Amino acid sequence: MPNASQGGPSIIELDYQSLEYIEAVDDTLICPVCKTPFYSPITTPCGHTFCTGCINRALETQRTCPIDRQPINKNRDYRRLPLIIKDQLDRLKVRCPNKGCDHVCSRENLKGHYERRCEFTPVACPEPLCSRLVARRDASPTKGCLHKSVTCEHCHKLVAIAELSIHHDNDCDANEVECPDCKANVVRHRLEKHKSESCPEQQIQCRWHSGGCRVADKRRIVQVHEESGCIFEAVSRLLDQRAEDRTIINDLTSRLANLEAARGRRREDRERRERRTESTLLSTVLPNPASPTSTETPNEPMFPSALSVPHAADTFAWGSPEDYMLARFERLETQMEELRKEMRDMDAHQALTFLHHTTRIGDQIAELASKVGVLNMHTTWLMNMQRQSHAQQRAGSTAGPPSSGLSHASDSSGSRAGSSSSDIRVRHPGGSRRNSDGRGDTLTRL
Amino acid sequence: MPAQFAAKRLGKELQKISNSLPPGIELVSANNLEEWLLDIQVLDNNPLYQNEKYRLKFRFGSSYPIEPPEVIFVKVPDRPIPMHPHIYSNGIICLDLLGTGWSPVQNVESVCMSLQSMLTGNTKDERPPGDEEFVRANRLRPKDIEFYYHDNDV
Repeated sequence: MPNASQGGPSIIELDYQSLEYIEAVDDTLICPVCKTPFYSPITTPCGHTFCTGCINRALETQRTCPIDRQPINKNRDYRRLPLIIKDQLDRLKVRCPNKGCDHVCSRENLKGHYERRCEFTPVACPEPLCSRLVARRDASPTKGCLHKSVTCEHCHKLVAIAELSIHHDNDCDANEVECPDCKANVVRHRLEKHKSESCPEQQIQCRWHSGGCRVADKRRIVQVHEESGCIFEAVSRLLDQRAEDRTIINDLTSRLANLEAARGRRREDRERRERRTESTLLSTVLPNPASPTSTETPNEPMFPSALSVPHAADTFAWGSPEDYMLARFERLETQMEELRKEMRDMDAHQALTFLHHTTRIGDQIAELASKVGVLNMHTTWLMNMQRQSHAQQRAGSTAGPPSSGLSHASDSSGSRAGSSSSDIRVRHPGGSRRNSDGRGDTLTRL
Repeated sequence: MPAQFAAKRLGKELQKISNSLPPGIELVSANNLEEWLLDIQVLDNNPLYQNEKYRLKFRFGSSYPIEPPEVIFVKVPDRPIPMHPHIYSNGIICLDLLGTGWSPVQNVESVCMSLQSMLTGNTKDERPPGDEEFVRANRLRPKDIEFYYHDNDV
């Protein structure tokens, strides 16, 4: 409804339920109450979706869900609608509802088009006293109110300005006038058109005059001349054809020039980029932890040239220097991205190699540790044997000659230990154990 | 505004049923958005309704589809009133779907299909109790009659 109180051109609110959708809309996006695609939908606690307007209207008579009749709370605790549904609805293609406008856009953008951009949107008449609506393109204070009636200058009837031309064509009583030359009756405001296009008494030139025909007479005579075959027709046609060909050739030539220029530029760019990538790669590969900015160094000289005002020749294929700059920036970004990727690859490679080596070293350490453990065990066992034999010898010397079995055992143990335990035998048993423990520790620490 | 809402919804329905309707349902006339005529027939071989078509008259109020439409059988040559314990001989139908059981998600097509199945499932060749009296005395519109939906079997 027109809202005149707000001032300024006001418009009828967009009616989403009578929109024309360009493609068939999936049934799941249709409100079961109004049978049109959801507009501002909500979901009930029982999981059914309706347009907000539709469910509110339905709840006025029955406080249950229209589909499964589950009660719906007075405070309307609707669920939030999944955004994916909103997206689907926003993307539906609709036609602008204004008469005369064929604009098609996504439903999301229709409001903007209708309210701000469409020149056919009905707005309040610029005349403050007139309450009717007029298409936006006709609503200007200079045109004034198009609903005001004026007197038709021919039949003296009152007609609204907006409908004046329809009136002249159809229902004006005095709309016919006699052509002063051919005496035929024609619609009054079409008289000029009649004279220039069809009146047989008008003075005209042969239509092949561009080919050199000099015939010029009243239309009916010229027409006879044309129909009987003007000899200049072929010449004229040929000339026309040539002019047409020439425009096509010109067009093609200029396009070819553009393409060649663009190709040359692309080749230069590619060469420049290759050179740059090589130098960048070199500096990235070099292990130089002292200068963390080493990867950026080759980029530095690029920036001043990119930021300097581009030459006219460089921007030829672009609409504006801004476009050209944006294109350059995009290219730089791609290069940065490539470099970043290479860095990442390298990082991964290094990490892998490092891991490989450390695992091997770790394995070796573990092996050594286990060997040391075994050695440790042997040493302890030998020490114990040694201590036992010492104790037996001491006992034997105090309590008479030892029994043959025991002395044999001590002898055999001594011979089995061999020379390896000979140095331990001279030391204090406890000291030697500590020593061996210490050696085990240092090995493990390796 | 509600009348406009009804008109839009009916426009949509008409567009749909002009294109396609389930078997046994035919659109006879819909010259305006107030009164439509449809023919229905029973598709299985229930002996009560074989080889017969029945004419339904839908009348839509301004608050359709929030309020149910008024649906009755009408008697014209070749189109009798079907014999059913819930259908009075003047065409008035006692069906909760058309009264308290109405929901705005129902539509002309779904009502026709409900009536089709109501006839299909019937085996009794009789009128509702008190039919003669009701037909003689009743001056009310169907929506103003307080039906007592007692019988859920047929």
